[in-house]
Amino acid sequence: MTQRWVLDEIVDPFGAKVLVERDAAGAVSSARFDLAGLPRVDALLAGQPVTGVPNLVEKLCGICPAAHHLAGVRALEALAGSPELTPTAKAVRALLHYGSALETHAPRLISTDRETALAMRRFGKAAMAAAGSPGHFPTTAIPGGVKAAVSAEARDGLAGAAADLLTQLVAVAVKQLQSPGTLPVYAGADVALVDLGASPDLLGERVRAVAASGATILSGASASAWDGLVAEQYVGAPAPRPYLVALGPDHGRYRVGPMAQLRVGELATPIAAGLQQDWLAQSGDAGGARAIMTVHAVEAIIALLADPELVNGEPTVEVGPCAPESVGVGWVDGPRGLLVHRYQTGAEGQLTAAQILTPTAQNEPWLADLLLSAATGSTAALDLEDAVREADPCLPCSSAPVGGMGLQVDIVSADGGY
Amino acid sequence: MCVGIPAKILQITSGVLPMARVSLNGEELDCQLAYFPEAEVGDYVLIQNGFVMDVLDPQAAADSLAAFAELGVLNIPAEAG
Repeated sequence: MTQRWVLDEIVDPFGAKVLVERDAAGAVSSARFDLAGLPRVDALLAGQPVTGVPNLVEKLCGICPAAHHLAGVRALEALAGSPELTPTAKAVRALLHYGSALETHAPRLISTDRETALAMRRFGKAAMAAAGSPGHFPTTAIPGGVKAAVSAEARDGLAGAAADLLTQLVAVAVKQLQSPGTLPVYAGADVALVDLGASPDLLGERVRAVAASGATILSGASASAWDGLVAEQYVGAPAPRPYLVALGPDHGRYRVGPMAQLRVGELATPIAAGLQQDWLAQSGDAGGARAIMTVHAVEAIIALLADPELVNGEPTVEVGPCAPESVGVGWVDGPRGLLVHRYQTGAEGQLTAAQILTPTAQNEPWLADLLLSAATGSTAALDLEDAVREADPCLPCSSAPVGGMGLQVDIVSADGGY
Repeated sequence: MCVGIPAKILQITSGVLPMARVSLNGEELDCQLAYFPEAEVGDYVLIQNGFVMDVLDPQAAADSLAAFAELGVLNIPAEAG
């Protein structure tokens, strides 16, 4: 397949565009965020040797290459029979992932708490470096484990900075919870990865879905069941409108990310779990959820630093070749939510089809709901910028200071004219 | 997915919202440096939607450009710079 991206759409600083549609009577009938700046790469990957696909995808990613790195390696491992990793491999990968989450969330604080934001970024980068990924593009994981354990020196350096950062981030979260934003009630489900005890786990091996009512839709399905869990209404589109297969396209909409992570189960780290209870009691917003998940990330890193397996132990297990004519699914719950890599192989081990389903693509329907609510004024104090900031699409505009997002709003009439 | 394209900083304009003029595939573009005010002229940086999102070492920049070239999605050379 030949496809060229329009360079200006990828690098345009004012590329964040909202399309608002009015009906024949002039009333706002729908609104959506234009994802032209976030093209799908899935079709372009066909024909590549499958073992090189994670490396290729992460080299294209501007914001969260670590999430793509880990999801891609997990997909390769699924193709190789899903080997049980060593405790050291799990710990090092978790350090990379939580460090990446902190680094990714840091820009959100730049305009309100620059000192904490820069401390977050430094700590996140140091955690990623300790886990074997000192540069922008991660090199930590390999099929079957990780390249190396963490050095004692790097572990001790992180331990020295973790407590202060935790204090700073708890203060940010408490402040955030004191002034929650107003969000319309979301009618869809919340989807996030969990551990075997149903606690949110950014590297979990089970996915859990909870309805708006709190009822459990999926208690914990594995990645191998992916094809029966989620389908794209518009397959391969930048805005594919995915849905839970069990509920169908009309009733199966869902969201991912920090709000979903806090709604699917109780966090396993104590300070963040306490904040989570406050957040649930006040029907908190996405800003509060992000702040709590950063506290959780630092607590999780502190626990990892106390784990002797992080620095001592076997980094890998033996892993076989990727199976031909098979399907492998790898996932992580990234800082913005669930990221899925699905690889399908041909007879020669080449990739014949890929699905890279990002949190932004999964949250696009939720963002459309928020934008409609803002455009119609049905939710007081929610404007278009607030809507974008809440759903947090994977674009720098999400981190812009209040009033500085530079959203372009195109009004479209029912007949398609402007 | 989010796409980050490596470019080289040619010039920096300081201020409350610092800007960088960068070279990308022979084309010069202006980008925001708000997230990475410590970047310097000559650095390779990752651009996404007009913002510098990270500073790259030259090898990482070359690797990233090679990935874009391999997929043929942008008319850019495989070597950094």
